[in-house]
Amino acid sequence: MKSKKLLAGPYLFWSVSFIIIPLLMIFYYGLTDQDGAFTFANLAKITTPENLKALGLALLLSLISTLICLVMAYPLAMILASMNVNQTSFIVLIFILPMWMNFLLRTLAWQTLLEKNGVINSILSFFHLPQLAIINTPYAIILGMVYNFLPFMVLPIYNVLVKIDKDVINAARDLGANNRQTFFKIILPLTVPGIISGITMVFVPALTTFVISDLLGGSKILLIGNVIEQEFKQGSNWHVGSGLSLVLMIFIILSMALIAKYDKDGEGTAF
Amino acid sequence: MANKLIDIVNVSKSYGDNLVLDELNLYIRENEFLTLLGPSGCGKTTLLRILGGFESCDSGHIIFDGKNINNVPPNKRQLNTVFQKYALFSHMSIAENIAFGLKIKGKSKAYINDKIRYALKLVNLDGYENRTPDSLSGGQQQRIAIARAIVNEPKVLLLDEPLGALDLKLRQDMQYELIRLKNELGITFIYVTHDQEEALTMSDTIVVMNQGYIQQIGTPEDIYNEPENAFVADFIGESNILPAVMVEDKLVKILGVNFPCVDVGFGKNKPVDAVIRPEDIDLVKPEEGLLEGVVTHLIFKGVHYEMEVSANNFDWLVHSTDMVPVGTTVGIKVDPFDIQIMKKPESEDEEAVPVEE
Amino acid sequence: MIKNTLQKIYLGLIFILLYAPIITLVVLSFNNSKTRAKWGGFTGKWYVALFQNEQIMNALYTTLIIALLSALIATLIGTAAAIGIQAMRKRVRTAMMAVTNIPMLNADIVTGISLMLLFIAFRFSLGFATILMAHITFNIPYVILSVMPKLKQTNRRTYEAALDLGASPIYAFFKVVFPDILPGVFSGFLLAFTMSLDDFVITHFTKGPGVDTLSTKIYSEVRKGIKPEMYALSTLLFVSVLILLILVNVSPSSKEGSTRKYVSKKSKAARFVFRRLVPAVMAIVIIAGGFFYGSKRSVSGDNQVIVYNWGEYLDPEVITIFEEETGISVVYEEYETNEIMYPKVQSGAIAYDVVCPSDYMIQRMIENDLLAEINFDHIPNIKNIGTQYMEQSRQFDAENKYSVPYCWGTVGILYNKKMVEEPIDSWSVLWDETYKDNILMQDSVRDAFAVALKYLGYSLNSTDLDELEAAKALLIEQKPLVQAYVIDQVRDKMIGNEAAIGVIYSGEAIYTQLENPDLEYVIPKEGSNVWIDSWVIPKNAKHKENAEAFINFLCRPDIAKMNFDYITYSTPNIEARKLIEDPAIRNSTIAFPDASELERCETFQFLGDENDVLYNELWREIKSK
Repeated sequence: MKSKKLLAGPYLFWSVSFIIIPLLMIFYYGLTDQDGAFTFANLAKITTPENLKALGLALLLSLISTLICLVMAYPLAMILASMNVNQTSFIVLIFILPMWMNFLLRTLAWQTLLEKNGVINSILSFFHLPQLAIINTPYAIILGMVYNFLPFMVLPIYNVLVKIDKDVINAARDLGANNRQTFFKIILPLTVPGIISGITMVFVPALTTFVISDLLGGSKILLIGNVIEQEFKQGSNWHVGSGLSLVLMIFIILSMALIAKYDKDGEGTAF
Repeated sequence: MANKLIDIVNVSKSYGDNLVLDELNLYIRENEFLTLLGPSGCGKTTLLRILGGFESCDSGHIIFDGKNINNVPPNKRQLNTVFQKYALFSHMSIAENIAFGLKIKGKSKAYINDKIRYALKLVNLDGYENRTPDSLSGGQQQRIAIARAIVNEPKVLLLDEPLGALDLKLRQDMQYELIRLKNELGITFIYVTHDQEEALTMSDTIVVMNQGYIQQIGTPEDIYNEPENAFVADFIGESNILPAVMVEDKLVKILGVNFPCVDVGFGKNKPVDAVIRPEDIDLVKPEEGLLEGVVTHLIFKGVHYEMEVSANNFDWLVHSTDMVPVGTTVGIKVDPFDIQIMKKPESEDEEAVPVEE
Repeated sequence: MIKNTLQKIYLGLIFILLYAPIITLVVLSFNNSKTRAKWGGFTGKWYVALFQNEQIMNALYTTLIIALLSALIATLIGTAAAIGIQAMRKRVRTAMMAVTNIPMLNADIVTGISLMLLFIAFRFSLGFATILMAHITFNIPYVILSVMPKLKQTNRRTYEAALDLGASPIYAFFKVVFPDILPGVFSGFLLAFTMSLDDFVITHFTKGPGVDTLSTKIYSEVRKGIKPEMYALSTLLFVSVLILLILVNVSPSSKEGSTRKYVSKKSKAARFVFRRLVPAVMAIVIIAGGFFYGSKRSVSGDNQVIVYNWGEYLDPEVITIFEEETGISVVYEEYETNEIMYPKVQSGAIAYDVVCPSDYMIQRMIENDLLAEINFDHIPNIKNIGTQYMEQSRQFDAENKYSVPYCWGTVGILYNKKMVEEPIDSWSVLWDETYKDNILMQDSVRDAFAVALKYLGYSLNSTDLDELEAAKALLIEQKPLVQAYVIDQVRDKMIGNEAAIGVIYSGEAIYTQLENPDLEYVIPKEGSNVWIDSWVIPKNAKHKENAEAFINFLCRPDIAKMNFDYITYSTPNIEARKLIEDPAIRNSTIAFPDASELERCETFQFLGDENDVLYNELWREIKSK
């Protein structure tokens, strides 16, 4: 058994070098100023009105998108789970397949679809329907988030759903529960690990995205991800950028705590 | 005998091309312990699930207490099921599991608490209220599953191989427990198993099934002593099944030798199957037997010795409390009433003829 | 039945949502027009052009090789790790899994930044290797999480049984355990491959010069408008994966085979072809292609020049000619704004040889001692550059020691004649309520402020706080009217009639007018910015002489003219201007405005780091309003 443990050696080395140390680097940068002196000033930058607003907006948009994803994904996962297709992999692949079309291109395609003279509006005006004017608004960003992250909500819920023993559901029906009661008392509680995992897998990337807001928000809408990206790529103040990243990590740690609490066995993994 | 409680009339069910139940007819009396016995794939579990309401039949009727319940959903049926793998709700405590059905019926708190205590006592698990299902052993989980079902006071309890996952000792204990429970509750049990010993131990009535057909219905004694065909004979206990010819009433020719027997009405010179249980064969001196053979194998089995005797090109399986060493030449003798004669199936498919009661 | 129909409709809607953008991209790949804003008829030419576009093909093979290598290495490390972790005590196991979860749950941006900080701190030069390491890092967790469940399912007794039967632990592992976890390993590999393929953010932060994956290539193209070849490539990739999946899933499956009594030889053969042979052949083609392209690139050795230029700011043909003539191979990388370029050069993480910043940025780089003096003995072609441009350069490069002008132009208003009531001549139109949601504003600090400051009558190099606050207030006032803040996308959007008015660089105006004759460019009467982009050589350049050869080459009239034709930005190369065939363009006032028009125009100056911070802060306040 000893020798088996050694197999984790390379990974241990790798994770220390490329996961732990880099995170410590962020801590170092986040807690020092340009001269290397210790400071909380970078963290405090989050309290400036602009940054607070960017964070608030990012929180709001990502929460809304997460909620929409959940509401859309749950019935979808249930339908997929009930389809009784033994080629589960095929269903999963339908959701993974779009990833082979580059993420940026997919998002950019929404621009073409949503623009004033875009595809959707052309179709709408053909039928003399009112125009859809959501490009460069927060709604477009939400759409982009939902579109990009929906699979990350569907897959964990689906994976938990298919693992539920059919007889557990039968037992509930057998004991007198109707469809609604069976759903709320049995199915929903049993899929909590999947839901939690789905929520974090949508919420975290949505909270921190800068690409989607860039491409679909017309650069009018600044999210916290944009602020951090600009600190690194344009403002060139890595200390402030790291400080803001540290603030973001609070939310990420919260998500991990949630997962640790509700999904102990890692049932709700997406894949 | 008590009234018919459930009447299963001409029920058929198939999955795709696979016919699982074919025009099946069966009734179940009130307060009966009825066992559906058969090899896996014989349709017994499907029948149970149709009764529970988890599957619907393609044709035929399920009559419960005089009413057709074909279209009644499981939650409206007055029966409860104990599932093979227990199907406990892992996100609830033991008490919550047991209380599930009662809460849905809107019973009072006091009533529910009483019932939980009563049910746990009944299954010998007092004090387990706040444990989670994961923390219990298989046998304990099984008993909780039973407790969860019976607190709802169903008229019928359906049990789907409930002891399949338990080890031998526990299984035997639970068999007695189930008999005790049934006597205390005074309700009908419909029990599915592929274990013939379990069936013989607990049942009032055994229904032997194979390939979607009922092979024989009867008391455990009937089934064991008078199997109606080779399948039943082979499936229940060990037996020697021999091709034979019914020479005339009360005389059968087995392996070229005439044996006196007690069966009548098969006609003259008709090919039949003869069943002789291993413990019914007496090994005697060569000159005293109807047949002469040599002992080829000998194994000590605790209660008895198991021997194989080669005679007239057939290996006879013999159980005896007396040991006969390998190589001994012996005579084989069978009492006439220990020979069970069965009609020979005319073709391969005939083996599965539906048996009307 | 109704339930069933509803379910189907719902599935259908989700399907449309997921695949509408993909269909859009497929359609765009057949669009004859170069911009995505206009349908120009059906064509297959991009599919042909694709294979001749070395940049895209390079990006493709970099992407594929990084995906393949990172997935392979991650699968090796991850599978071993999963087995090791499984054998650990519970507490250690929990800790290891928590670490494993970090890259999965952490924001891509934080992961990318943390890795970039690591690489820079430890002086790894950013490039292929750093991308690969970053990808391995975020791929391992996917593998571990795919393999772990399978490991939990495997019966430990079978492994022990194998040992009992005399197998060595290694033999037992490969013969008994491995086949059980193989599906997990395989799906982990596929997942890692896909994730690597689709990653942008982490690559964005960890990549170096001359290395582009498809994602970063696309991102740098976004602002200019995506090259249609990219759509063609994506379509090809998508379709080949689709075909592969259909083959694997629809081919006679093992399930069918087992329910029948026997598996016919024919279906067995078909299964072999579909499930093993075709994927294997595709993999081999990809790898072989990768090595082919890889070998083509690696012949360069050290005789190279690393060029860092604006996106779409050089005719690729020019590079080919340069490489052929001089034998120096060009490593080419692009940026979108001066502000993005600056920290990269300043950090020294990458030793660029030639960079093309704008006026004020050159001044900043000189002040911060980042530039090397150019040896003009190596650049005889400097004589082709008009003296007025050298004179103008003195504003930021006082002694003409550090820079060689490459392009110049003005900032002005591009408007659609059909969408405005009267000809435009003032910045005031950008505050006109009638054009609400029809205005495209520049998405860069200095340009945006220049517009407001000029409109207010101040200098665009103002550092007066009151003036800047006034400009800020004006820009905030303008924000509700703005459709989008963009950089080079103004071009596509104006061509596609998406907006009536856009602030744009003069160089883009010529191209847009060719595509959409309704467009008109004007330098507002309040004055504007006149800018110069010049070539400079960073101090830490490793191939200074090659860099000078490159600059000299670009100053050759025929080459400068090729670049002008390609990018349509005004050239300071007088000899090149004479070569322009079309007199309308040669004498265009957009490309070559009169001195009188430039009277009120100013050139940006570097205002000092503090003022830079001030500008940035004010800008963020505007953007977050």
